Amino acid sequence: MAKHIIVVVREVWDTRDIIGDALGADGALRALPRRFEPEDLNSLEQALQIKDRDGCKVSVVSLAPAGDLDVLRECLYRGADEAVRVVAQGAVDSAATAALLAAAIRRLGEHDLVLLGVGVPDGENSLLAGELAGRLGHGQITYVDSITELSGDQVACRREIEMGSEFISAPLPAVLALGVYLLKDDPRTPRAAKAMLKLKLKKAPIAEWTATDLGVDPAPRVRVAALRALPQRQVETRDVDPGNEAALKAMLQDIR
Amino acid sequence: MAKILVYIEHDESGVSDLSLQALALATRLGGGDALLLGENVSAMAATVLAHGAQDVLAVEHPALAGHVALPAAHALKAVVMERAPRLVLVPSSTVGNDLAPLAAGLLEAACIVDCDGVEVDEGAWRFLRTEFDARVRAVYEAVGEGPALVTVKDGIAEAAPAVGGQVVATRVELGPEALRGAVQRREVVKKTVNLKDAKVIIGGGAGVGNRENFALLERLAEKLGGELGATRASVDAGWISAERQIGQTGVTVRPDLYIACGISGAVQHLVGIREAKTVVAINSDASAPIFRVSHYRIVGDLTVVVPKLVELLA
Ligand SMILES: Cc1cc2nc3c(=O)[nH]c(=O)nc-3n(C[C@H](O)[C@H](O)[C@H](O)COP(=O)(O)OP(=O)(O)OC[C@H]3O[C@@H](n4cnc5c(N)ncnc54)[C@H](O)[C@@H]3O)c2cc1C
Ligand SMILES: Nc1ncnc2c1ncn2[C@@H]1O[C@H](COP(=O)(O)O)[C@@H](O)[C@H]1O
Repeated sequence: MAKHIIVVVREVWDTRDIIGDALGADGALRALPRRFEPEDLNSLEQALQIKDRDGCKVSVVSLAPAGDLDVLRECLYRGADEAVRVVAQGAVDSAATAALLAAAIRRLGEHDLVLLGVGVPDGENSLLAGELAGRLGHGQITYVDSITELSGDQVACRREIEMGSEFISAPLPAVLALGVYLLKDDPRTPRAAKAMLKLKLKKAPIAEWTATDLGVDPAPRVRVAALRALPQRQVETRDVDPGNEAALKAMLQDIR
Repeated sequence: MAKILVYIEHDESGVSDLSLQALALATRLGGGDALLLGENVSAMAATVLAHGAQDVLAVEHPALAGHVALPAAHALKAVVMERAPRLVLVPSSTVGNDLAPLAAGLLEAACIVDCDGVEVDEGAWRFLRTEFDARVRAVYEAVGEGPALVTVKDGIAEAAPAVGGQVVATRVELGPEALRGAVQRREVVKKTVNLKDAKVIIGGGAGVGNRENFALLERLAEKLGGELGATRASVDAGWISAERQIGQTGVTVRPDLYIACGISGAVQHLVGIREAKTVVAINSDASAPIFRVSHYRIVGDLTVVVPKLVELLA
């Protein structure tokens, strides 16, 4: 039985609907809409389901300034017990992020699981699980599809790998990176925020810890030297009416 | 001792092709040593030597046999501490992308995953990475003295010839902190199809609906001399085997023609078909994202459209 689960959450660029260039005329990233990292919502849900079953505590932690979208508060509205924001100054690469989050996780106290998301292959990089596990000295399991067993001292997961799946066990505490994709009516679908909790926790204070509080020097190990716009592949889309045999035939002629 | 250390990934069938590409990249950047971790790995030293390795470090340990990230990361850390390479190249695969960040965490070192190019700028290495749905190429540099751990993607270099290297006996001690976790079982299908080189691929997604309907796609594939491919949704549904999955956790394909049937076009799938020359999509939802990357857009029910196409090809 798990007693304490820590979920690491963040907001991300919403790249789903960007069309055209991601860089503006000044060569910097265009401001894109942001959203709650969908993978992180999945891991929060996973933690909350364990809480529903075992009655454990769920803490959430994020490293980012509070934006319009407050992911931490969103977690509280869904049922997390404690939320902490880590605030950093200056450039923060993934090594610095890992250093700060690892310190925050230690400070949150003894825990059984640290859950995070697996990034999608573009823009995100799925680095943090490993970097965190390394700094915490925990075992890690990535691309977790489901937790198949959780006992007092061990977790076992099914994960997706090339050409199939793998069943892995690790002793607690462990870092799990969830790469869940949801089926229709999936029991893992994230729950909605609760209206009652929203009312109650709208103004609840959220702890903020700085690098100084945490006693870490978040020295970056990597820097972005440049961003280059990539020419977008121009796809000219032709509509083919499936009811029009001649059009289908013409298409088949073209593509063969 | 070279400045670059290359982690060589292997399985029962031997050294992975991508590991040899990483070794070739190291050779181009000034020469690399190769690291083999596992059981009976010395047997693979000859292959690695034949592809440009300088020193081959073969570390034999039973705990390293199962490709569990933690012991491998500790072993890699021990070797890095002893030999102080400035760069560690690792194949970008499930194994490599598990290993590099974990080892970087242990070493508190720089890590960059999924690089698709390396440039040398006034003696400094710059690592290129395609981001934001292939809209941006980010150029990364490691900061400071410590090693950078970098995973590299398929296509990074052509395998290189031998440079006259040698095998160097290497031992590492793995403490209890490294010997944790285990793979209980793997359910992996043996590869029997070669989607990578297929010229025509008919991809089936959740919209195909059931196993029987996949037969419709199969007939179309036969007519066009193509192979069947799939999304993870249809693999998970059990309609088709995992070796046909295309995308982030499947294969990357480069066909002349890709016909996407009942596929929504999630980014995890699209990364696998980015290099398809012509894309035809059949989807009943006119707003499906797959249409954004399609040359031919057929809004319709695939159970009607696909048989129609087969008929027209007769
Ligand atoms: C870490 C991670 C890794 C992943 N790796 C991969 C990967 O390697 N490959 C991969 O494919 N996915 C991968 N996924 C999953 C991916 O996110 C999507 O969930 C998946 O690609 C969706 O598959 P789909 O398009 O078949 O299904 P859906 O998204 O459900 O789309 C089905 C489509 O079929 C259409 N449709 C329904 N009925 C019909 C009909 N009768 N005729 C025509 N059209 C119809 C619908 O309009 C819909 O657009 C991964 C996810 C995660 C989190
Ligand atoms: N600044 C951050 N704050 C909190 N969680 C983060 C942060 N950056 C990354 N993560 C977590 O790490 C996962 C993978 O991130 P990445 O390694 O950047 O792909 C995300 O899904 C989050 O769970």
